[in-house]
Amino acid sequence: MDQERLDTILSRYEGDAADLIPVLQDIQDQYSYLPKDELKVVAQKLNVPLTRIFSVATFYKMFSLIPKGRHQIRVCLGTTCHLRGGPRLMESFSHRLGVEPGYTTKDMQFSLETVGCLGSCAQAPVAMIDDKYFGRLATDKVPKILKLYKN
Amino acid sequence: MVNLTIDGRAIQAKKGCTILDAAREHGIYIPTLCYHQALKPIGACRICVVEVKPGPPRPLPACATYVAEGQEVVTSSPKLDAIRLELMKLVLINHALDCPICDKGGECELQDLTHALGVSVVDLEAVKLPPHKDYVSELIERHPDRCVTCGRCVRICRDRVGALAINFTLRGYFTELASGGLPLDCEFCGSCIDICPVGALINKVFKYRARAWEVTRTEMVCPFCGGGCSYELWTKNDRPLRVVNYDTALLCGRGRFGFPVVESPDRLKTPLIRENGGFREASWDEALDQVAAKFKEITEAAGSAAIYGVGSPRATNEANYLFQKFFRTGLGTHQLDNPGRYTYVQALKGLAAVFGFPQVSGVEKVAKPPLPFHSPLTTTEEAKASGFPLVLGKLKDLPKADVALVVGADVTPELPPLGWALNTALERDTFHLVVANNRKTKFDRRAHLSLRYKPGSERLLIAGIIKSLLTAQPEWAPTVIAGGFDEFKENINKVNLKDVAKKTGVPEALIKETAARLAQAQAPAIIFGSELMGQDKGLENTLALADLFLLVGRPGAPGSALYPVAEKNNTRGVCEVGVMPEFLPGFVPLEGAEPGPTLPEMLDLLEKGDPKAPQALYLLGGDLLRQLPNRSRVEKLLKKVPFMVVQDAFLTDTAKLAQVILPVAVHAEQEGTFISTDGSLGLLPRALPVNGVRPDWQIISQIGSKMGFAMSYASPKQIFAELALGMPRWAGMAPKNGGAAFTAEVTGQFVPFETDISLPGRRPFTLLVGKSLQHSGSFTTHEPCGTLTITNRARLGLNPADAQNLGLAEGDFAKVTSSQGEISVPVTLTPELPEGLVFLPEHFSQPAAQRLTLNSNLVRVTIQKG
Repeated sequence: MDQERLDTILSRYEGDAADLIPVLQDIQDQYSYLPKDELKVVAQKLNVPLTRIFSVATFYKMFSLIPKGRHQIRVCLGTTCHLRGGPRLMESFSHRLGVEPGYTTKDMQFSLETVGCLGSCAQAPVAMIDDKYFGRLATDKVPKILKLYKN
Repeated sequence: MVNLTIDGRAIQAKKGCTILDAAREHGIYIPTLCYHQALKPIGACRICVVEVKPGPPRPLPACATYVAEGQEVVTSSPKLDAIRLELMKLVLINHALDCPICDKGGECELQDLTHALGVSVVDLEAVKLPPHKDYVSELIERHPDRCVTCGRCVRICRDRVGALAINFTLRGYFTELASGGLPLDCEFCGSCIDICPVGALINKVFKYRARAWEVTRTEMVCPFCGGGCSYELWTKNDRPLRVVNYDTALLCGRGRFGFPVVESPDRLKTPLIRENGGFREASWDEALDQVAAKFKEITEAAGSAAIYGVGSPRATNEANYLFQKFFRTGLGTHQLDNPGRYTYVQALKGLAAVFGFPQVSGVEKVAKPPLPFHSPLTTTEEAKASGFPLVLGKLKDLPKADVALVVGADVTPELPPLGWALNTALERDTFHLVVANNRKTKFDRRAHLSLRYKPGSERLLIAGIIKSLLTAQPEWAPTVIAGGFDEFKENINKVNLKDVAKKTGVPEALIKETAARLAQAQAPAIIFGSELMGQDKGLENTLALADLFLLVGRPGAPGSALYPVAEKNNTRGVCEVGVMPEFLPGFVPLEGAEPGPTLPEMLDLLEKGDPKAPQALYLLGGDLLRQLPNRSRVEKLLKKVPFMVVQDAFLTDTAKLAQVILPVAVHAEQEGTFISTDGSLGLLPRALPVNGVRPDWQIISQIGSKMGFAMSYASPKQIFAELALGMPRWAGMAPKNGGAAFTAEVTGQFVPFETDISLPGRRPFTLLVGKSLQHSGSFTTHEPCGTLTITNRARLGLNPADAQNLGLAEGDFAKVTSSQGEISVPVTLTPELPEGLVFLPEHFSQPAAQRLTLNSNLVRVTIQKG
C-alpha cells in the first residue's frame, strides 16, 4: 500500500465522518478504484465503520472496488437515448472493445458502463469518454472515436 | 387518549402510538416483516399496509403511521390482501427455500407469513444471485440467500449495539447484507442473529442441535455481568442449547454464547478434601462433617471470631443472605466481607458518605401471602425514602437524561446494557454525551466531547470541572440540598485550572466546556465504572463524582442519577444483603457491636501475624488470587490460614489452597435471585439438573445445621421471604422489577476529596488491568464457553508507536515487570491506547495480571521484548 499517496489525499480533509464521499472520490480518481487496504485506513482516520464505507462504495456507481481502465466510457441508456439508438451504440462499443458493460478491457485501457442519463437528451444518443461528451453518436463513428483514445 | 376504529371496532389508543401498536394491544392481527418492537419502525417492507380514512388515497404502513382522532382503519380487504400477496411473492422470488436444514425452521417469520397469507405459488422469475455464504466468521454464520433485506440486523447493530458491523451493500434487487466481503470482526454479541426474521444469520453454537418446537424454554436472568438482562434458556434432554431474548433481541456475546460453560469438563463434581499434599474425592456427608467439625474445633479453641467469611458477587441473594446469617446469627460475629470491597464497595462508601444511609418509612406487610420471590412488604401512601440508593439510576431511565458524563468506564465491556441505553439516548438530538477516559473507547466515536486524561487523574479532572463551573458562575447554588458547600467551595478554590490541565492532560477549554454543558443540563447522568472504582483511591474518585452530582444533579428528573457499574451479576446484591462487616442487610449500619475487619484489613492482620487474624477462611466462591491486587502477597497470606473452605464450581487457583472444596451449582442448576446494577430483581429458576453438586444456599444451611445453628430451609423461596421481610426498601419488589417507588428525599453533604494523583514508581509505562469485552470474571474462561473462540487468552494492549520503539510486533511476547512481579504475555497493537499506557485483561490466570499490581488496577511497569 502506498501510504504517502493516501496521506496526501487524507491531509486535504479534517478527518470528519462527513468527508467520506469526497475522500472516496479522490481515491477513485487517483487509483481508478477503491483498494481494500486503503479503505481500512480511511475507516480509521475518519472514524467511520468499515461496513459503512463498503455500503457507500457499492451504492454509488462512480465508485468501484476493482481497478478500472485508463478511460471510462459511459453510454447513456436514458429514455431519450434509448429511443434514439442507445442500445445499438452500446453494442457497438462492446463489440469493438470486446467487453461486456461493467467490465474493463484486458489492456486496462477502457472501462465500459451504462448510465441512466447524462443530461444531454437533446444530443441523443450520447456517450461520454472521461470528461468529454459525444452527442448524436452514430455507430459508424465509434471506431474513429476509440482511435483518438488508443494511445 | 385517541379514539379510532380498526376493522369497525372502536378502540382507544395512547396518543403518539402507531396503528400497529394499537392493533396489537387489542389483539388485532396485522402481518409484519421488517418491524420489530425494539427498533424504530422504517416502513420498508410494506407488508403491514392498512387503509386509513381520512388519509391519502393509498394504503399506509401500520408500523409507521400514528393514530389520530376519528381514524377509520381497515386491516384486511381484497385490495390489501392482493398487495401483501404480491409483496410476499417478490420477497420469496429468490429465497433459498431450504427450510428443512435451516435452523430458523419452526420459528421463521417468513414461514409464518407465507402460511398466514396463503402464498401458494410464486409465479415470478428473476436472475439468480450468487449467494455469498459466510461459514468462516466465528460464532455467526451468514446465508444471504435467505435474507429478506428487512434491515433489522443493520438497525440493531447500528442503533442499539453501536458497532455497525454489517450493512447493506450494492443496491436495488442486488442489495445484500455484508461486512465488506470480509469475515465478521465485530463485538460478536449475536444480536443480529436473534433479530433476524429468517435464517440469514445463524447461531453456530446452536446450529443443528434442536428444532424450535422440541425445546423447553425457561425465562431467567443472565448470570454474567450486573446488567440483569433476562432471557429464555432453551433446554432439551437436560442440556442447555441456546439463549434468546425475545423482548429486544439484545444480549452481549458472553450472555449469548457463554452459557455452555455450565457443561465444562473443568467443573468440579464431588467434594474434595486435602490429604497428603493432594486432593481426594469425598462424599458430601464426609466433607460437610469435616467442615463443621473443624469450624467447631477452631471456635472452641480460638473463639468464633477466628472464622472469616468472604461472600460472592456471583452467588444468589439467598446464598449470600444465609452466609451472613451464618456469621452474624450463628457464630455471633461480623467477620465477613465480599471481594467487591476493592471496587464497587468503595463507590458505595463514597456515595453513602455524601448522600447518607438509606432511611425508609411507610412500609407495611401485604395482607395475603406473597407469590414466591415477591417482597412480602408493600408501600403505603406516606412511603418515603432517603439515602444513597435513591441516586443510583435505572438503565431504562438513562435515555431520558439530557447529558451523560461517562468517566473511567469502557462502557460496553463493563456493562453492555449501559451501552445500549446510551445508544438509545443518542438517537435524540438533544442528548449530549461527554466521555472521559484514559484511552479511546467505543463511545468516543459518538461523544460530543471526548476528554483524554492521564491514567489515574480522574478526581483531579472532576475537581477541575467543579472549579471551572464555580468560576464561570460564582453564584451557582447546588441543585441538590446539601450542607458543607461553603467549606467545599473554599477547598475547590485552591485548585488551579492550569495545573489541572497540565497534570490531567485535558485541555482547559474542554474542561470548561464540560462544566458548561453540565451546568445547562436539566437531567445530567454520571456514569462511572470499575476502572475508576478499582483504584486504591476509588473512594476519593467516587466522592468527587458524588460532589459533582450535588452541584449539578437533578434527582427529580428521570434519568438524572449516578450510575456506578456493578461488575458481576450480583455485585450489588451481595452488598444489599449485608455481606460486609459494617452493614447489615439493607445497608443498615452495624451498631452496638464491633464490625469485623474488611477484606484488605483481614489480609493485613494475616500479614502481621496478629492474634486477631483468622484461623479459618470460608470462601463462597470467588477466585481471590485472580481478583485481588498483588497476587503473590495474597497467595502467601492465604497459605498462612490453617483451614480454608472454598465453595466453587471450578478448581480455581484459590481453591487449590483450600483444605476442603465444595462444588456448587451455577446458572440454571439452582434457584435464586440476583440484584442487577440498577437494583432490579432477576429471577433464576431451576432448569438444569445438578449432577451431584449442590447449590450454595443448601451447603451453607447444611454446615450451619451441623454446627447447631437454626438454619434449616426448604428452598430459596423461603429464604427470600425471610430476607425480603427485613428489607423495607425492597417493598413491592418482584422479579424483573426494582420495587415500589418511594417519595424521594435526596439531600447530601459535600465531602472534600483528595486531589493528589501521583502513581508510585518510576517505570516508563502505566499498566491498566481491566475488562475484556468477551469475558466476565474468570467464569467465561473455561471451555466450551463460546466467547473463548474470540478471545482465548490475555494479550497486552500496546500503542503501535510504543511497540515499534520496543521492537515488538503483533503476537510477540513481552516481558512486563513491576515492583511486584513479572509476567510474559503476547502483545496486541491497540491504536486506541495512548502512548505510555498498556492494557491487560484481568480474566485469565495465565498470565495473571494481578501478579503485577500493588493495591490498585493501575501500576507502573517496564516492558521488554521476550
